[in-house]
Amino acid sequence: MIATIAGLESRRLFRSAHTWVMAALLAALFGFLFLKQLESFLSLQSALAAQDHPIGLTGFMSVRYLEPLALAFTLVAPLFAMRSFSDEYRQQTFALWQSSPVSASSLVLGKFIGIFAALTLLILLCAGMLLIMKAFVDIDLPLLLSATLGLMLCTATCTACGVYFSTLTQHSLIAIVASIALLLFSWLLGSANFASLPIQFIRELSIPNHLRGFFQGYIQTRDIAFFLLATGLFLGLSIIKIDSMRHTGQ
Amino acid sequence: MAAVLDNTIETNNFALNADSLCRRLSESASVSDVTLQMRRGEVLGLLGLNGAGKTTTLRMLSGVLVPDSGSVSINGFSMHDQPLQARAQLGYLPDQPPVYDDLRVHEYLTLAGKIRGLRSNRLSLQQSLVTEQCMLGDVNQKRIGTLSKGYKQRVGLAQAMIHQPALLLLDEPSNGLDPQQLDSMRTLIATIAQTSAVILSTHLLSEAQAICNRVAIIHEGKLVTDQASDGENLEHIFQGAIR
Repeated sequence: MIATIAGLESRRLFRSAHTWVMAALLAALFGFLFLKQLESFLSLQSALAAQDHPIGLTGFMSVRYLEPLALAFTLVAPLFAMRSFSDEYRQQTFALWQSSPVSASSLVLGKFIGIFAALTLLILLCAGMLLIMKAFVDIDLPLLLSATLGLMLCTATCTACGVYFSTLTQHSLIAIVASIALLLFSWLLGSANFASLPIQFIRELSIPNHLRGFFQGYIQTRDIAFFLLATGLFLGLSIIKIDSMRHTGQ
Repeated sequence: MAAVLDNTIETNNFALNADSLCRRLSESASVSDVTLQMRRGEVLGLLGLNGAGKTTTLRMLSGVLVPDSGSVSINGFSMHDQPLQARAQLGYLPDQPPVYDDLRVHEYLTLAGKIRGLRSNRLSLQQSLVTEQCMLGDVNQKRIGTLSKGYKQRVGLAQAMIHQPALLLLDEPSNGLDPQQLDSMRTLIATIAQTSAVILSTHLLSEAQAICNRVAIIHEGKLVTDQASDGENLEHIFQGAIR
């Protein structure tokens, strides 16, 4: 059942013009950033090699090319997810699911997986650009895999956040503004410098703090747990919301 | 899952057994103490003025809305205790057909069949059957968004009956249909009623008189009449019930 719903969601995404427009803009961004950072690496190559801990192409591109793309995916994931439930409410197609033998968890998971699968293709595209360099130079594959995993975990959390806000309203625009506002707040927490103890704890909710290690090749259990828990939390809240609609009638 | 897929008829069961359904939506809109029992072969016309509670009743019967009190069971499966099994036994066409404009008709019907547990050969068979019954062959490859309101209504009906449900709930099914399509719809409902129980809500007394062998009248949220439709003047019954 989940696979059927995921397939439907992916298919509908790829039939939508706005998906292709966003994908084209992202691809242009990947290309521009990739070439710009590659040029920077070539101009700094001798200085980087002279350091005590020389930085190779993969290490340089991971931090200067892939890490900024995490912010791009933070903004794009809610754009992909915004229609998941909002459109169903607005076009009154939600009754199909409510009157069918489909559980709220299957519906939410199916839609999440469908959207995430589409975004995964874009992540693989941007990581693939770096992988192409393997034909010419040595690539640090474990570092590239680590960075790709970080991008995927971050995108999964942002997608789940977008799906959750989409369950709350029939207006896609409100869903996207709310989810992007929350995610950007999480990004800003990472750069804030708070002194008091409770705020220190809040900094643990910062996405970039948990993401940085992946781009430097350090995969920590606490970072993986953060993204998995955040994704699970948003999906859980979505399931509760969908279930409660039978009671509230809205 | 096996139970969900099992559409076997238990002859001792009512296709629908709704007992004392109550639901309050707002100060002005509520449904109270609606009790209905139906067997396969019955076609019940749910009549009432606008805002009487017909749609709310159908939403409770379909599992879309949970009643404040009372119970619903479909073909022996309780909507409260076995919601997935119960919903597998029913088909529901709301007043606005729940169709995706960006899907083609055959894709949408495949989806409707799959989410009701149909697979491979049975799915193809049922899809061909409802496509023929609802006269969708000409538009099978077209995107639903390009179809007329009448065709969309028929696509909505096809999704509701693709899994041969024990209970078919139709909310204003004649909306958007021209006289010829209306006639075909009546014939189709008579065919469906050979294997299912059908409830259709309508405000057209002539439609109920033509299709239904039983009528129930809802007035101000209460079921005021539930009787066989035996050719008696329905207008007379209706006026008497809502007086």
